[in-house]
Amino acid sequence: MLTPKPICDSLSDLEILRRALEALDFFSCLYERYEQRFLRYIRRVSGATAEEAPDILQDAFIKIWKNLNGFDQSLKLSSWMYRIVHNEAVSFLRRKKSFGKDQKVPYDEQLYQRMPDEVQDAAEEPELRDQRTQHLVNRLPQPYKEVLILKYWENLSYEEISDVLKIPEGTVATRINRAKKAFIQASEKTPAP
Amino acid sequence: MKDSEKLIQTIREKNIQPVPKHFFTLKNAAAWLGFLLAVLLGALAFSVVLFCIQQTDFNLFSHLGHSRLEFFLGLLPVFWILFLMLALVLAMVSIRKTGKGYKFSITRLAAFTTAFSILAGTLLFIAGGGRALEHAFELNVNLYESVQEKKVKLWSQPEQGYLSGTILSSDATSILIEDFSNQQWEMHYDSAFVAPVLTLEKGQKIKAIGKMLGKGQFEAREIRPWGGMGLRQKNSSLHLPGDQFIVPALRPAPLSGAPSCRAAHPYRSTWAPQP
Repeated sequence: MLTPKPICDSLSDLEILRRALEALDFFSCLYERYEQRFLRYIRRVSGATAEEAPDILQDAFIKIWKNLNGFDQSLKLSSWMYRIVHNEAVSFLRRKKSFGKDQKVPYDEQLYQRMPDEVQDAAEEPELRDQRTQHLVNRLPQPYKEVLILKYWENLSYEEISDVLKIPEGTVATRINRAKKAFIQASEKTPAP
Repeated sequence: MKDSEKLIQTIREKNIQPVPKHFFTLKNAAAWLGFLLAVLLGALAFSVVLFCIQQTDFNLFSHLGHSRLEFFLGLLPVFWILFLMLALVLAMVSIRKTGKGYKFSITRLAAFTTAFSILAGTLLFIAGGGRALEHAFELNVNLYESVQEKKVKLWSQPEQGYLSGTILSSDATSILIEDFSNQQWEMHYDSAFVAPVLTLEKGQKIKAIGKMLGKGQFEAREIRPWGGMGLRQKNSSLHLPGDQFIVPALRPAPLSGAPSCRAAHPYRSTWAPQP
C-alpha cells in the first residue's frame, strides 16, 4: 500500500528520505514528486522515447534507493537525485550509441523538415520554437547539451549543476558560456523556418 | 499499475536493500587517506629533490665544455621529480574521489597538493628525511644510484679534468692522493686555487678541477673539499653537511639506465669501483 498523496505532500524531501529508510512505501512519495520532471529531463538529455524513459527512471530510482545512505545532507536531495538520473540517462545514451540507434531523433527531424510548410511564423508558435531549440541543442556536443538543458530547461543554479555533473562551478560557467556560443553558431547555420 | 507502485514492488520482490552507511563512510575515509598518503609521498620525494640539489655541484657550470642545458638536465634529480609528480597526480585523483572533491578545479587541486607537498617536504628536508630516504634507497635498492655514487663518478674523470680522492701526503707544490678506485695520483697545485677550508693534511678528502698530464699525474687548477665549496674556514673539519656518507666504492656498479637521484649524467664516467 503506497503512501497517500496528502501525506507525501505534507513532507519535505529529507523527511521522506528518513521515513523511507524505515518504511519503504514512503519512497514512492519521492518517485511521484519528481517523476514528471525527471522523465522530461531523461528524454531531453538522452533522446529516449516516451516508452524508454520510464524504464530509465525506474533503474535510476533503484540506484537512488540503494545509495540512500550515501546521500550527503549538505547537498540538495534533488541535486543528488538529478545526478543519479543524469548518469542513468547518459549510460542509456551510450548504450544506444553503441548500437548506432541515435543517429537521428525521428520526431524532431521530421518536425523540423515540416516546419517551413506548416507554419507561417514560427516565432508565434512557442511550442514549435521550443522544438526547434531542442533540436539545435540535440546537435551540440553532449557536455554542452547537458549544461544548457540543466540551466535553461531545468532551471538549476550553477551550484546545483555543479553537484549534478560533479564538476567545479567555474567549469559549469565556462561550459555554459561555450555552449551558448556553440548554440548561436548552430542556429546561424540552420535556417529558421 | 502506477510506476511508483511498480518501483516499490520491484524493490520488494528483489529484496534490494540500501547499502549500509558505514560503506560510504569508509569509502570517503579511504579517499582522504589516499590523499594524505600521496601528499606524504610527494613530501618525501620533494625532500629528496632538495637534498639532491643541495648535494649537486652546480658550480661546475663554469667549467663546462658541454651544453649548459644538457648539463643542467643531467644534474636534475629526474627520478625523484617524476616520483613527486606521480604522487601529486595520485593526491589529486584521491581528493577527487572524496565527497566534495569535484568542487575543486584541476588548477586549484594541483596548487594545493603541490603546496602541501612542498611545505611538508621542506620540513622533512630540514629534519633530515630527504637524506635518510636517499640513503635507504642507496642501501636497499640495487638499481638505485645514489647522489654520492653519482658524485664519485663525476669526480673520477681525470681525462675530463675532474679528480678526487684522499690525501696520502703533501708538500709545497704537490700532493699525493688516492682516488676512489684506489689509484694513486701526484697532483701539482702550485698555481691552483685551494679552498680556504683545506689544510691539505693526510686523510682529507678533496676534489679537483684541472688537467691530466699523464699516467698518475694531474695538474690542479682548483682544489676544494669533497663536501661543498669549502669557502669558509672551519676548524680543520672537512665534514660538511651532506658529506656524511661513506664513499660507496665497495658497492657494485649500478646497471646503466637505472633510476637515480640524478638522470644519466652527460659525462661518461671512467670510474670503476673495486670489488
